[in-house]
Amino acid sequence: MQKTEVLAEEPGATPADPALSPAAAPAGPAPAREWPRFWPALLLGAAVLPGTVVFVLGRWSDGQALQAWRTVCLAVTVQALPFLLLGTALSGAINAFVPAHVFSRVLPRRAALAVPVAGVAGVILPGCECASVPVANSLINRGVTPAAAFAFLLSAPAVNPVVLTATAIAFPGSPAMVLARLLASLVTAAAMGWLWLLLGREEWLRPAVRHTGHRPGHSRWTEFRRGFQHDFLHAGGFLVLGAMAAATFNVAVPRTVLDAFSGSPWLSVLFLAALAVLLAVCSEADAFVAASLTGFSPLARLTFMVVGPMVDLKLIALQAGTFGRAFAARFSAATAVVAVLVSTLVGGILL
Amino acid sequence: MKRPLQVTLLVLSGLGLLHASLFTDLFLRYVKEGMRPLLIASGVLLLLLGIAEAWSTPAEAPSARHGHDHGPDGDARSDGHGHDSGQGDGGHGHDHGHDHSTVPRVAWLLFLPALSLLFYAPPALGAYTASREAPRAVASGERRFDPLPATSPLPMTLTDFTRRVRQDRSRALAGRTVLLTGFVTPDTSDKGGDTWYLTRIILSCCAADAQSVKVRVHGTPALPGDTWVAVTGAWHPGGTLGTASAGADLDARAVRRIERPVNGYTDDLPLVPSR
Repeated sequence: MQKTEVLAEEPGATPADPALSPAAAPAGPAPAREWPRFWPALLLGAAVLPGTVVFVLGRWSDGQALQAWRTVCLAVTVQALPFLLLGTALSGAINAFVPAHVFSRVLPRRAALAVPVAGVAGVILPGCECASVPVANSLINRGVTPAAAFAFLLSAPAVNPVVLTATAIAFPGSPAMVLARLLASLVTAAAMGWLWLLLGREEWLRPAVRHTGHRPGHSRWTEFRRGFQHDFLHAGGFLVLGAMAAATFNVAVPRTVLDAFSGSPWLSVLFLAALAVLLAVCSEADAFVAASLTGFSPLARLTFMVVGPMVDLKLIALQAGTFGRAFAARFSAATAVVAVLVSTLVGGILL
Repeated sequence: MKRPLQVTLLVLSGLGLLHASLFTDLFLRYVKEGMRPLLIASGVLLLLLGIAEAWSTPAEAPSARHGHDHGPDGDARSDGHGHDSGQGDGGHGHDHGHDHSTVPRVAWLLFLPALSLLFYAPPALGAYTASREAPRAVASGERRFDPLPATSPLPMTLTDFTRRVRQDRSRALAGRTVLLTGFVTPDTSDKGGDTWYLTRIILSCCAADAQSVKVRVHGTPALPGDTWVAVTGAWHPGGTLGTASAGADLDARAVRRIERPVNGYTDDLPLVPSR
């Protein structure tokens, strides 16, 4: 038994292990990109600095802005924590209790077919986007092809029954909006999965292997508990980071700015897509926010609801923590572009 | 992050959530009331995780590091290095395999919300946020309005008042005295004069998606921002009542300070605080 798999926790010195994902077996060890070890501190600075600068410059003289910032930051964290716990518990359970062959049996053998199946399977995970990142990660570690896991990651927060019901309530009398959201989200998720099959490279994924599945001679419960705890602490830190960034933009950009952009149809689509990324509203609530953006066309609001659950600040932070920064940057950018294109297409036909 | 720190972090987070959701109403400053069971469950779960980690013997820690399997058939093949690491060759283990007892430093950030909830919870959103938000559009759904009850003053929500003013063609509000509750948002615009806004902030999920509904109040000097008040008054004429030209304005006759209601983030008739 050779011990080639030298695995480190930090994104720094990490010779990648090709056996990490089954598809990469023939590819030699892929050198991981070197990131400064203190990059979380950099991200933290990026999240906090703008707010601090404006605050210090005295635009907000009385500290009310800081209070609002703290409130929003804590609110995002508190709102997301139960769902993050659900997701990490689920991913811990998948690792400790579900044998790997279950997935190879359920999913079609061909990766191109597994992608849409996994996308549709997103219906079963009721929750917001925080839950789906750790689950997708554990699916990859259990041998599911990354493309299918990413389709699941993208579709699960947007197409589950809770979110669709919320959308129907937020847009009473326009079932086309619910249908458009469902279709656009599924198509985007599948498109991203196929895109990964075409262009994706294993070395973008950080080989942060933290799960082995059940090993003989170990208590499944201890494995479950330790995996759960580790994932939660890890992802929780990134959640707080994302919440800080979202709160900064939430407080720094007054909603009244929106009116300036609602006039032009194309600009408004792009603007609401950007807003969805910056505000990081939970996918269970974004329909209500979209419904309140009355100055904008239905198409722009659809884009807001399709982009939001797939790309936003706290999600990018979570993905960077789970899959590595090289992945998160490329994947989020590509997803944003695909999501805008698909929702424009679907919305143009249905709305 | 060392194990004792992890235990501390888990326990503090659990206690923070329980403090905010089970022992006090703090969580209502940040999320909706429906989240309470989820938050309590999460708090208990985190507490249990922390206790389990503290309870587990440190001797278990070496067995937590491990290599990883090689894909779908990992279960069958992992016996090789699985047994290897099971034998616990201590020093070796820190180089090979992955140790669950080390957690990346980013986890330190979780101390912020935990301590914040326990010791220094920020206040609910108020006048500052409301003054920076455009008022939420009032849904123009149903066209039919039921007759108003005969009580006077008539308790109403701000949304209801706005809809009656702008959409009720039967003009049922004409000449009626209503009772509205909300908090004070000073009018910062130039044309404000001596008016101010009676405001409610409404959440659809958490404080990050706050929207506000406002009614402009005439005739009384503004109290300091964020003061919760109950205002008795009648519609302030301006535009044609029952059409979109009418302003959601109120001539105040009496303003009374009240406690912040429990359901402060909704536009419902007020409930009294439970404490």
